[in-house]
Amino acid sequence: MAAPEPQPPEGCRALSALLSGIAQVTFHGNARITEELLRAQLYPEAPPEEFRALRAKMGGLLQSIASADMDSNQLEAFLTAQTKKQGGITSDQAAVIAKFWKNHRTQIHESLINQSRWDNVLKNMNWRVDLKSQLRHIDQINTPVAIVEMELGKNGQESEFLCLEFDEAKMSQMLKKLSEIEESMTLLTQTT
Amino acid sequence: MAAGSSGALARALARALAALDDSGAMEKIRLIPQDFFAELCEQIIQHLNHKIPGINTVDLCQRIQTSGVDINIGDLAKVANTLSFLFSTAARNNLSTEELVTTLGSGVSMLPKHAVQVIRHVWNEQGKAIAVSEDARDMATVGQFVDMKWKLGVAMSSDTCRSLKYPYVTVTLTVADPSGQITDKSFEMTVPQFKNFFRQFKEMASVLETV
Repeated sequence: MAAPEPQPPEGCRALSALLSGIAQVTFHGNARITEELLRAQLYPEAPPEEFRALRAKMGGLLQSIASADMDSNQLEAFLTAQTKKQGGITSDQAAVIAKFWKNHRTQIHESLINQSRWDNVLKNMNWRVDLKSQLRHIDQINTPVAIVEMELGKNGQESEFLCLEFDEAKMSQMLKKLSEIEESMTLLTQTT
Repeated sequence: MAAGSSGALARALARALAALDDSGAMEKIRLIPQDFFAELCEQIIQHLNHKIPGINTVDLCQRIQTSGVDINIGDLAKVANTLSFLFSTAARNNLSTEELVTTLGSGVSMLPKHAVQVIRHVWNEQGKAIAVSEDARDMATVGQFVDMKWKLGVAMSSDTCRSLKYPYVTVTLTVADPSGQITDKSFEMTVPQFKNFFRQFKEMASVLETV
């Protein structure tokens, strides 16, 4: 079964654009890019069934590559195997896919990461330092305090605003904990 | 204290107690054992005195439930808020113990006898020490940072991606909201987000030092 053979270099451009379109839909949640739109824009001469087959094949390959977050070695091995398969891809197509992945890997991986973040995230943070003067509590006269506003919420849902006050002692406490986290993070990224 | 203002005060306190009754939380006061009720009042006074950042309603509620009393956290919170209002109003108006009990007026008959005894005792012992700060009203929307817990994890894979492999830190902030309730707020950060978070706190700290 022969796949539609794109003629280089136009064919390469069309394939590259197709991969972009597929990525938009699959990873970035862009619902406006329909199959019909892609066919009309990129492969207007191709019969619908042939285009559908091409789109499905490329989509499947991109899905496998993204799911494994392939590095260049893995990708080369994978694509080479695909060129040798019955009903696989041409070496030109492999080259286009390799170039596409090289340019879009980080972005696509980040999208996949975001898709799996279901808990509250810190969407934004603002702060200022106030000089708080309370005349009736002697130990609090003219204490500098940091007022921090954090915007928390789940992706795509309404935010909650948390407004907190930190005096110097509380700030030290916070910094100490944050240092602990940083230490652990450094250890973790060193060993993985 | 002028008769007019004491009348208004009595009405305000009576309204607060009536609201508690309407919500069904008054029933619950009757159920709270005296020593727990006293502990609650103590914590409220200490919070008003800025000695503690907040009232640990979650912990208190659990212990009350363990003793066999059926009360939920929402009811306990309503009771705590009402008592806090009573005590801070009394402080702002410099009420003596007798004045407080008199001003509670009809509200007293709603409260169980042991509760009135506790309020009277706690106010007698510690009420005079409360100096209500003017700033308290301005800071109404700001909470106090109490503590922070964290855990570091690595998301390995998911249904949409077999090889995620990203580290993230989950932070839980324990905060005391302006009314004194202590709650936990959690959120996640990736490594770059955490680095930014840390950097901002370091900036804040250096500004705090120089101010």
